[in-house]
Amino acid sequence: MFACRRRGRVAAALVAALAALAWSAPAAADPPRLDLPANLTAVIDFRLVLTDGERAWTDGGFGRSRFGGGGGDIDVDAAPANVELVWHGPIAWNFEGNVALAAQDDQDQPVDLIEAFVAWRPVPRSATRISARAGMFWPPVSLEHQGPAWTVTDMITPSAINSWIGEEVKVIGLEGSAAHPLAGGRITATLGLFGFNDSAGALLGFRGWALHDQKTGAFSRQPLPPLNAFMQGAQPPWTTPTLELDDRPGYYGRLSWQLAAPVTLDAFYYANRGDPEAVTPDLQWGWDTSFLNLGARIDLGARTVLLAQALTGSTEMGYEENGHDWVETRFRAAYLRLTHRAGRLALSGRFDLFDTRQTGSQLGPEDDEQGWALTAALDWRLSDRAELILEGLHVDSERGARARLGLAPRQDQEIVQAAMRLTL
Amino acid sequence: MRALAFMLLALASSPAAAADLVVQVRLANGAAVPNAVVTLYPGGRPAATGTAPRTFQIAQRDLQFSPFVLVVPVGSEVSFPNFDNVRHHVYSFSPARRFELRLYAREQARSVRFDRAGIVPLGCNIHDGMIAYISVVDTGFAAKTDAAGRASFAGVPAGPAVARVWHPYLRAPANQMQLRLAVAPTGRQTQNIAVALRPPPRAGRTY
Repeated sequence: MFACRRRGRVAAALVAALAALAWSAPAAADPPRLDLPANLTAVIDFRLVLTDGERAWTDGGFGRSRFGGGGGDIDVDAAPANVELVWHGPIAWNFEGNVALAAQDDQDQPVDLIEAFVAWRPVPRSATRISARAGMFWPPVSLEHQGPAWTVTDMITPSAINSWIGEEVKVIGLEGSAAHPLAGGRITATLGLFGFNDSAGALLGFRGWALHDQKTGAFSRQPLPPLNAFMQGAQPPWTTPTLELDDRPGYYGRLSWQLAAPVTLDAFYYANRGDPEAVTPDLQWGWDTSFLNLGARIDLGARTVLLAQALTGSTEMGYEENGHDWVETRFRAAYLRLTHRAGRLALSGRFDLFDTRQTGSQLGPEDDEQGWALTAALDWRLSDRAELILEGLHVDSERGARARLGLAPRQDQEIVQAAMRLTL
Repeated sequence: MRALAFMLLALASSPAAAADLVVQVRLANGAAVPNAVVTLYPGGRPAATGTAPRTFQIAQRDLQFSPFVLVVPVGSEVSFPNFDNVRHHVYSFSPARRFELRLYAREQARSVRFDRAGIVPLGCNIHDGMIAYISVVDTGFAAKTDAAGRASFAGVPAGPAVARVWHPYLRAPANQMQLRLAVAPTGRQTQNIAVALRPPPRAGRTY
């Protein structure tokens, strides 16, 4: 009964927000032009957020989203959620640079570096095309992040899989690719060697999966939810994803096959080879994390695209006791997303499934989690420089550890967001 | 009677006997296929090009090549003017002509000469979405299909001929199909050709 009333109030607030945004949209279609140097792009994302349910993980809670409610009442927040400055341009004829800075309203660093790499793309001498890049970047896992500064296209919130990639799987390394025509399509092989990603896995191990568009910067910390008594003594309530702890490089490999039919399939394997016993003086641990991701993109005609990814992996941290490291987490997630474009509008729907299983000696089944999420988004391209995205996200998950905050294990939550993305 | 038959035969095989030929290229569902290159070889041999090689143009405008497909006789020059405000790095690694052009600024143009028949795919090393094709032909009967999928030829010598149809996405070996046809001595003749196309490839760049 309460849930029905809550949803009714969310819907009413949504209608009011929609009316206000529709009224203001024509004025926003032509934002002022900034006199920026060539190759420099600024992206400002104004956000109106309505949420209910539990406190967000970004605020010390167990909520699965970037935004959370006050425990039942609808919470309304309006602010620039992200401001990004991207420089992407040629350095020499076969070299390009890419540097992106981001200010995100709920991160500890007011401005942080989110990408910085140089790409080498020599002119092909044969049908085989080679390229390489060096610097700080996200490995090529996500099928959803196709915009500048690694933004999601057509939606606000990425899937659980790519939310995690955005927050923890960022490397400083060297990557090489070779692409060759095959049977009317193209096959691409990619190999990467990297460091500074030894703590990747801490968020999945301690918090589990989440769905949000916050991206980790080079110097940012990410908050952790309330830990159990043992872990409170071993780990501060935050993690730094971009750390090198053991001087052992990690690696990844990817094989992508674009078929003659409008179908692209890819397989990606990552292992950071982190030392689970490596630890810094401020108790940031190495996490031995590996995972396999399978992805597919299918173009169903000219206007409809189906995206799917499935990821499975494991991570371990801490000393071994009774045959198990302190934390041993197995994680799995998958999503299916459909986007249909009609003129300036794009309608998207996505279904996510996720779970984590704990078998460590100090983190047990009360931190197991399973859940699902349903996301629907409408993207309205007002002009080539302004875009209005309206998105509704329902997430439902069960985790015994919520008892640490006096909550029932099973929680559900609605997050309705309207984003005005301006490219200046 | 025998004399009349001889005269008719002589007329049919005479170089003066010629027809206007329209090659209509369509998909199986009837949709017109533009940008297909049709080349005709009367008697199975290349026809003299008739006109002297001249300079053609492929422009770079709004991060696209224009035209998408260009047909030029062997020995022609093609200029590549850049009408964009960004740099382009035009290249081809085709056996017919391998080259690389660095075009720094708006309205800067350079030319390349094409001395061998064949297909020359073009790319821009900076902008993966920019793709175009030059068909360098060794016969005077060569044309690109228009928006209605039609390629028109005037004065095609009567008799057997070989027609080749090439399109960048044609479902056939080397993106080309070949057929034999008989050209009538006079009048206007339409030859329908049904083809199947692959979907255009998506740009494969991830960063």
